[in-house]
Amino acid sequence: MTDRPTGQGGPPQHDNAAPEDILPNDPGSIAHGLGVPPETFHPDEENQENATISERFVYFLGTLGALVRKQVWFLLVILGTMWGVLRESVRPNSWRRTVRYEFQLTLSDVAGRGLLSTLVMGSLTGVGVVSQAIYWLGFAGMAKMTGSVLVSVIVRELAPILVGILMLGRSGMLSLAEVGMLATGGQIRSMQAEGLDPFLLLVLPRTLAFTVAGFTLGIMFSIASLTTGYIISRASGALSNSLFSFFYDVVTAMTPADYLLIPLKFVVVGFLVGLGCCVSGLTASNEDSLGTLLPRGFSRGILIVMTVSVLFSLKV
Amino acid sequence: MKRLNGPLLELADATPVFDESSLPPVPLSMRVMSGECVVIETRDMSRATMFSDLCSGMVHLRNGSAHFMGMCWDDLDDRHRNALRGRIGRITRRPIWTDLFGTHVGIMFKELHHTTVSVPDLTSQTVRLCTRFGLPGIPVETPRRLSSADLVRVTCVRAFLGQPQLLLIEDPLEGSPVDISGAFFECLTEARDRGASVVWFVRDSSVWQPYRKAVSALWRLADDGLLTVRIR
Repeated sequence: MTDRPTGQGGPPQHDNAAPEDILPNDPGSIAHGLGVPPETFHPDEENQENATISERFVYFLGTLGALVRKQVWFLLVILGTMWGVLRESVRPNSWRRTVRYEFQLTLSDVAGRGLLSTLVMGSLTGVGVVSQAIYWLGFAGMAKMTGSVLVSVIVRELAPILVGILMLGRSGMLSLAEVGMLATGGQIRSMQAEGLDPFLLLVLPRTLAFTVAGFTLGIMFSIASLTTGYIISRASGALSNSLFSFFYDVVTAMTPADYLLIPLKFVVVGFLVGLGCCVSGLTASNEDSLGTLLPRGFSRGILIVMTVSVLFSLKV
Repeated sequence: MKRLNGPLLELADATPVFDESSLPPVPLSMRVMSGECVVIETRDMSRATMFSDLCSGMVHLRNGSAHFMGMCWDDLDDRHRNALRGRIGRITRRPIWTDLFGTHVGIMFKELHHTTVSVPDLTSQTVRLCTRFGLPGIPVETPRRLSSADLVRVTCVRAFLGQPQLLLIEDPLEGSPVDISGAFFECLTEARDRGASVVWFVRDSSVWQPYRKAVSALWRLADDGLLTVRIR
């Protein structure tokens, strides 16, 4: 082991570069957040009165551009950080002790402590949705459709949405509050002063932990809901076949594309929920408090979960 | 630690952007050689914090340049900048402690990130420093649970840990709930003997008087910039 910090002379043996999209252009900003939406375009009143048509047109375009940028600002930041996370995650240099430690902490919190909540929610879904679907399909004489309907409704559509919302409410909001308080409190700036990149230390490990947890919890949710649904249906007499046979029907109802799309949906939901929460926290400004951060983060998170679900449903 | 031939820290007519730093937008020039201790008197400690940021390459410059270890901050990419900042020990008035981890992790976090020193070695270094500053060991509670006296102690430990090459110190002695001056001066001297440079910001000149003989230069940071003062 060497005790020499790297970074002297030649290329460093570590270190990251957070994507410019989220790094502040104003490192000394008294607002400690790592970026704020662009200001609206303010007219110069005096010049406006004497402006030519071409100047007015340029001003109109400027106003329009500022308005558009303000509306899509968060989307652009998310796209930039998404690329940053993907790029940094494949670099061995990014995975230092501190980053691995943060990854483990977040993963144990999201996947470990969230497992029970997921199983309970899956069981309730099994009772409320799966058993009902089995009963009514049998009642309508469409029992052969049971497998494909359950795959379409529960595993492909409902599970990613519910798991996404669960992760968002249980761990995403916590992440948002933690990172947001660090940003508004000035600790993020202190980290930067010590060469600790908040993107590498907070955004990267947390986002990837959410990604892994999204897949894990999604699969657990699906298993719990289908198993509970089977037990309830079996107890009520709506089903007579074995558990193995029931799961065989479900698995055979899945198309080859499902084997790719369903896990991918869980992964993408987890990835974007984690990223959205971290970025919302990191971009908090001095005017923000928990009262403004949490509602904003939650609404963004819900929007992300629903958007991913819709896009996958459309096979985009 | 290798000693540089040139200055370890150099500001050459560095003119900070006022909007982002609130530092006076005047050219600032300063050279600190290896092993030197420079005291900068300033009434406003938030200005000292921003000046430290300037020395750490965190403030945009309108003109001039800031060099650390012979490298210009502006010429470096983010990775190199972060690596260099890992060699700076700072005591700052800005909040640095988070409750995400215990204090023990918070103290060692920078070293864990920037170096490959084994955890046992790092722990033993930390224990030595903690003991020197009057702590019975390494605190493992979250920083929020520590007394203000212990927080001052662990802040000093954090700054001196890992043999930094530059120490940017916003005076921890004035108004401190505990007397740590003995340990503080010892650590300063040890760091300088290794070749580290020290920039020590003080509000009150009485604070650095016990260390007066070892001070290389005295400056004053005021509205009209950085002024040299004769040591009496």
